[in-house]
Amino acid sequence: MSKRVAEQPVSIAFERYRLDNGLRVVLSRDPNAPVVGVNLWYNVGSRNERPGRTGFAHLFEHMMFQGSEHVPEMAHFALIEQAGGSLNGSTWLDRTNYYETLPAHYLELGLWLESDRLGWLLPAMTQEKLDNQRDVVKNERRWRVDNQPYGDWDERLQAMMYPPDHPYHHSVIGSMEDLDAASLEDIEQFFRTYYAPNNAVLSLVGDFDPAQARDLIGRYFDDIPKGAPIPPIPGRTEIPLDMAGEVRDTIEQDISLARVYQAYRIPAYGTDEYYAALVTSYILGNGKAALLYRTLVRDRQLAQDVIAYAFPIVVGASMLVVWATARPSANVADLDTALTEQIEALAAVDDVDVERAVAMLEARHLTDLQTVDERADQLSMYTTIFDDPDRINTELERVRGVTTADVRAFAAKCLRRDNRAVLRYVPNGARS
Amino acid sequence: MTLDRSSPPAPAPIRTFRFPSVERRALDSGATLYSAQRGDLPLVTVRAVIDAGAASERAGEEGLAWLTASALEGGTAKRSGEALAWELERLGAELETFVTWDALNVELTTRADRLPDALTLLAEIVREPAFPAHEVERLRNEQLAEILRRSTEPRGLADDAAVRCIYAEHATYARPIIGDEARVQSFDNDAAAAFHRRRFTPGNTAIVVAGAVTVEVALSEVERAFGDWRGERRPAPVPTTDARVERTTVFLVDRPSAVQSELRLGHVGVPRHHPDYYALLVLNTIVAGAFTSRLNMTLREKHGFTYGVRSQFAFRRAAGPFIIQTAVASDVTARAVQETLRELNAMRDNGPTAAEVRTARDYLAGTLPLEMQTTEHITARIAELHTFQLDADYFEHWRERIGAVERDVVERVAREHLHLDRLSIVVVGNAADIEGDLDALAVGDVIRHGNSA
Repeated sequence: MSKRVAEQPVSIAFERYRLDNGLRVVLSRDPNAPVVGVNLWYNVGSRNERPGRTGFAHLFEHMMFQGSEHVPEMAHFALIEQAGGSLNGSTWLDRTNYYETLPAHYLELGLWLESDRLGWLLPAMTQEKLDNQRDVVKNERRWRVDNQPYGDWDERLQAMMYPPDHPYHHSVIGSMEDLDAASLEDIEQFFRTYYAPNNAVLSLVGDFDPAQARDLIGRYFDDIPKGAPIPPIPGRTEIPLDMAGEVRDTIEQDISLARVYQAYRIPAYGTDEYYAALVTSYILGNGKAALLYRTLVRDRQLAQDVIAYAFPIVVGASMLVVWATARPSANVADLDTALTEQIEALAAVDDVDVERAVAMLEARHLTDLQTVDERADQLSMYTTIFDDPDRINTELERVRGVTTADVRAFAAKCLRRDNRAVLRYVPNGARS
Repeated sequence: MTLDRSSPPAPAPIRTFRFPSVERRALDSGATLYSAQRGDLPLVTVRAVIDAGAASERAGEEGLAWLTASALEGGTAKRSGEALAWELERLGAELETFVTWDALNVELTTRADRLPDALTLLAEIVREPAFPAHEVERLRNEQLAEILRRSTEPRGLADDAAVRCIYAEHATYARPIIGDEARVQSFDNDAAAAFHRRRFTPGNTAIVVAGAVTVEVALSEVERAFGDWRGERRPAPVPTTDARVERTTVFLVDRPSAVQSELRLGHVGVPRHHPDYYALLVLNTIVAGAFTSRLNMTLREKHGFTYGVRSQFAFRRAAGPFIIQTAVASDVTARAVQETLRELNAMRDNGPTAAEVRTARDYLAGTLPLEMQTTEHITARIAELHTFQLDADYFEHWRERIGAVERDVVERVAREHLHLDRLSIVVVGNAADIEGDLDALAVGDVIRHGNSA
């Protein structure tokens, strides 16, 4: 029962093309359920924000739900919910996505809504809507970050890991001051700069007739003009893969359990070494047979939980972050030291650890592909980042290609004490 | 041809949706098998649904179902905890356990061709857990640490305080499932083993198999793994559900570091088998069960008080709570409570509009297939069938039943089931900033609620 699961490839069929205005389209038909996922990726995220406007890409995302020239205020949500659909959007470092999952017979509604806000957003923008959504986003920041234990960990780690002029230095949610400073002029400028068909990918997955879908997409998107070339990402995007020194910080918070974060600088998403990092993250922190769970949770009982995550980000360099929450009885410094020891033990990692991690990643890939919304999001992602939607079918080969020697070499090169930031959270009054 | 964009396009003809057909079989052992075939990807989810939820704990055992569930990872008669984890994860499967009031669930998802291995391991875990003393002690200490963590985490703190403030102290549902520190401290491996012996019987268990597997294969594999298991059905006791307050009361949990107030407003709701079930789903959708609900439109889109607000009737075998939850900026805490009560009063007094009822029905009916796309989702729905003893074809008729809910019925259930004169309003926030405003609201007494973890 212990041998490696045999490979059983799953192939997602799709067709792709490009409209004259530059919009890239990916269609993947799946008649198994009468639903359709409509997904757009815009190749703009917090990395594109200018100084003094952190958080703007995300605030802008909120404004995209406030109606457009032909879509009245609140109609976007109302029409989709009335249709029996679900919808959302999200902003991240590298991109902003918008998606709705609809009963298949409402496909045209999704295309009408998405095309209207890509082509005709600005006439609907008002100061009142901006002020309202600014308040909503500030409450989102309070909820996610300021009122939540450890809530600012990614903001702090990004600032520690990337120099001030690097686009990943600041968080997606941004600062309260910068949110306050955002104006309608900023909305107009951001929209004209980044929200153009030549900076977007549209993916449809689900129960539709591809010829009919092409026709509908043409009708709704063809007359949106191509935008100007997208300006380069601001700031200094190149950074050395070697941090040449450790950065540390300890934060006191109103918490009961201490926590340690260690972030290591690693090559960007898409590089061969990134896949070694991805497999390593699963070896370390995914599952109950993971190295950190076995040693720190089960055996030594220093930690309550452990997680490891390789950020799939593309500008300059990425991060592999591991974190562990301390047991009440554990000393945070001991936990920090133990984490480091286990990461250094990767120098002698076994084949079975690598095989387990790959099996977990394979299973994860397959379960993710079950929903039309996730498939559409992946097709948009691979098209946006690599101009290659077929990576939905080939990405697993890159994971399977990672060997034990690759993991050891990656760990020796990147997972070093002088190539990391360490952030500790301790209860108030516990900073020694 | 110029496209007319001025109004939304009409929908195409509707396409039929069929919930995957569910087969129910009584096994000789007394266990029940449910099987649903879904073939688009080579995956299968298996779950044991055991009548060993928190409601089946005896006095003095509060929190033991949680510990027993987590201690299943401690190993079996045949292999240690670590060996078990290796076996599962080499299949790419992870053991997931979760406890509700009505059931203790043990689940694995793996590739369909690995169903025999998955069921062999599931049977071992469910039938022959070893509960080694050192593993149970470790997991008990993790549970204690989690209780401690929640005491400083505003959302967990508010959720836990809400049930304590909605239900009378002696009521079954008046506490979080995880239990409290003093009680959990007293548990050991013998306690977990005794709970397992008492509650994990085939008569108390359903095995769900959902995915790229035929009913025949599912049946023969489940028979192979569970067929010689013996043990009777032992129903869980009926939970008690008395309310804590007779008139609306504000419970203030002081968190001096708070920059936002976590709000919970609620009262005792109704059991799952209440005849107004479908109308209450529609009502809840209109109150705060969807983005375009009344409360979200008011608190978020009109006033910008919050990132979002949601409500839910928690349907259980006995009357679970109705709870509205949101988090608002500290300086608008009292105003947010006031606006929420204003909307609730309007709903109770006048009911919804016909358009709201239509939208809510269409939303609920339309999103059902969206929430049935994965083998895990289908498994969860089948577990619901079992727990509440619904017909195997129940979900095939669900959309019709939702579609039959009329406005006047929703108006009646709003009047009958929104108890605005006896709400428990829990506020977790910086008392120094908000207590005066809450007093001035005069919706009810303002009582300081200690963190009684």
